Amino acid sequence: MLTLIHQETFKLMHKKSTYFVSLFLAGMIILFGVLAKLYPNSFDPKSMFNINFTGIEWITFLMIAASASIVAMEFQYGTVKELLYRKYNRGQVLVSKWIVTFIYSLYMYVLALVLTLVLKVVLFNHTFELGKLSGSHTVIENLLISMGSQFIGLWLVLSLVLLLATMFKSSTVAVSAGFIGYFAANIAASLMFGLIGKWEWLKWNPLNMLSLSTQVMTPSYREFTKLTVDQLVMGNLGYIVVFLFLGYLIFKKRNV
Amino acid sequence: MANILEVKHLNKSFGRKPVLHDISFTVQKGRIVGLVGPNGAGKSTIMKTVLGLTDFSNGEILVEGQTVTATKHTSLAYVGALIEYPGIYPFMSGLDHLKLFATGDDQNQRIDEVVTELRMTKYIKRKAKSYSLGMKQKLGIALALVNHPNFVVLDEPMNGLDPESNKDLRNIITNLAKKGTTILISSHILSELEKLVNDVLVIDKGRIVSQSSMRNLMNRGKKYLVIKSADDAKAKNLLMAAGYELADGDDVRILETDAQKLMPILKIYVENDIEILDIQHQQSDLETSLLTLLANDQVTE
Repeated sequence: MLTLIHQETFKLMHKKSTYFVSLFLAGMIILFGVLAKLYPNSFDPKSMFNINFTGIEWITFLMIAASASIVAMEFQYGTVKELLYRKYNRGQVLVSKWIVTFIYSLYMYVLALVLTLVLKVVLFNHTFELGKLSGSHTVIENLLISMGSQFIGLWLVLSLVLLLATMFKSSTVAVSAGFIGYFAANIAASLMFGLIGKWEWLKWNPLNMLSLSTQVMTPSYREFTKLTVDQLVMGNLGYIVVFLFLGYLIFKKRNV
Repeated sequence: MANILEVKHLNKSFGRKPVLHDISFTVQKGRIVGLVGPNGAGKSTIMKTVLGLTDFSNGEILVEGQTVTATKHTSLAYVGALIEYPGIYPFMSGLDHLKLFATGDDQNQRIDEVVTELRMTKYIKRKAKSYSLGMKQKLGIALALVNHPNFVVLDEPMNGLDPESNKDLRNIITNLAKKGTTILISSHILSELEKLVNDVLVIDKGRIVSQSSMRNLMNRGKKYLVIKSADDAKAKNLLMAAGYELADGDDVRILETDAQKLMPILKIYVENDIEILDIQHQQSDLETSLLTLLANDQVTE
C-alpha cells in the first residue's frame, strides 16, 4: 500500500500542473491580500482574512480538477492496465488515489492557512488582532473552525467527483459535474430551502450538507437547513462514505 | 515440467455476446508460447483475463497454482505484461516510468540493463509525449521486463518496431527463456513468432483450435520435394504419369507422403536423361500451417 501511495505521489510531483496550482493559489491569496490593503473599503481586511483572502474558494476549484484527473488520467492514458495487473488488488489501487488526493487537499489548506497568517502579519499587523474575541471565539479560532467546516464540504464535493471520474472514465464529465454541483448548491439554495420548508425530509439531501460552513459561521442558518451543525457534519461524512464506496464498487467491477 | 499458467474451461461474454468459449490450456515453465489467431479471435481478451484485468463468467485461472480473478491477484507479483498498447504518462520521461514501477533494492541496475538491452539510452530522459510509436512500444516492453518477472505476457510486442528492434526483442526473449522465464506472446507477424516460440496456441472465434508444439504444427502442413532440373516441363509430365501428386505452378513440387521414397523419383530423371540442378525439401511455414488450420476450422459463431 505504501508503494502505491508512493507511486501516486511520484506521478503528482512529476506533473507541471502541480507546481502551477501551488503558485496560482499563492498568487491569488497574495493578490487579494494586497487588494484588501490598498482598497480596505471595497475589500474589508478582516472579512477577507476570514475567507483566507479567497484561497479556500480557489482550492475547491483546483481540487475538483486535480481529483478528477488523478483517477481519470489512468483511463485516458491507458495506464490503468499497468496499475491493475500487479499484485495489488483494485481496492488498494483506488484507496491509494484517495489518500494522495486527501494529502494534496490538506497541503493546499495548510498553504492557504500559512499564507493567510503571513499576510495578516505583514500587511495587517495593526488592523485587527488574532486573539481578540469575535462572538464566542477568537479571530484565529474562527478562521480554523471555518476552514475545518469548509474542508468537510470540499470532501463532499470531491467524493462525488471521484465517483463520477471512476464512473465515466473522463475528467471532463467529473469536473463539469463538480463545478455545476458546487455552483448549483449556491444558486439553488433559496429554492432548496423553500422545498425543505415544505417537505422536511428533504433536509437530508446532499446539497443541503454543503450549508455546513455557512451555518458554522452563522448559526441562525439553522432555520433554513433544519439541521444542527452536528447533524450536518454527520450528513457530510455519511455522503462522503457512500460516494467513495459507490466509486469503489464501480472500480472493482470495471473491465479494462 | 510444472505449469506456470493453467486456464480451465474459461467462458466470457461482453453483454450477451459470448467472446470466449470453454478455453482450456496450460503454459509450462520456461517455454515461449505463441498465441495466434485472426483479429477479434479473443487473444487480447484471454491475456487480459489471465492478468485479472477483466472478469469472466465461469472457469478457473491459476498462475503459479494460485487462483487469479479480477479482484484477487497476489500471484501476479512476479508477472510482467504489455497489453494492446503501452500505457504511458505523457508528462513523465521514460526513465521516470521505469523508476515508478521498478521495485527492489537493485532497481537502478535493472533499469540500466533493460534500457541498454533495448537501446533506449538516447531518449530515455526525454518526456514520453515526444516519443514515436516504436519508442513507446519499447518503453512498454521495458516496463514489462524491468522487474525480472518469472512470467511475461506480451500482446503484439512487435507493433511499430523497426527490424533491428525486432531482432533485439527476439534475442531478449530467447535469453529470458534460457534463464527460465516463461513467455506468452501474441503477434500478427507470424514470421517473427516462428523464429521464437516453442509452443503455439491457435485461437479462432473465441475457441482454442489447436495447442501443440511449433514443430508439430509445422509438420501438420503439407511438405513438398522441390526438384529443379534442365527440363521441368518434361519432368512434370513424367512424374504425373508415374502417379505423383504435384503442386500447381511451373516449378516441380512433389507432395511428400510418409511412405514416399526418393530413389524412384530420381530414377525417373536419370532414366529420361533430365539433368537435376537442385533438390530441396519445402516445409510449410507458420503462416501456411495456420491458414490451413483456420480454413479447416469448423468452429461456428
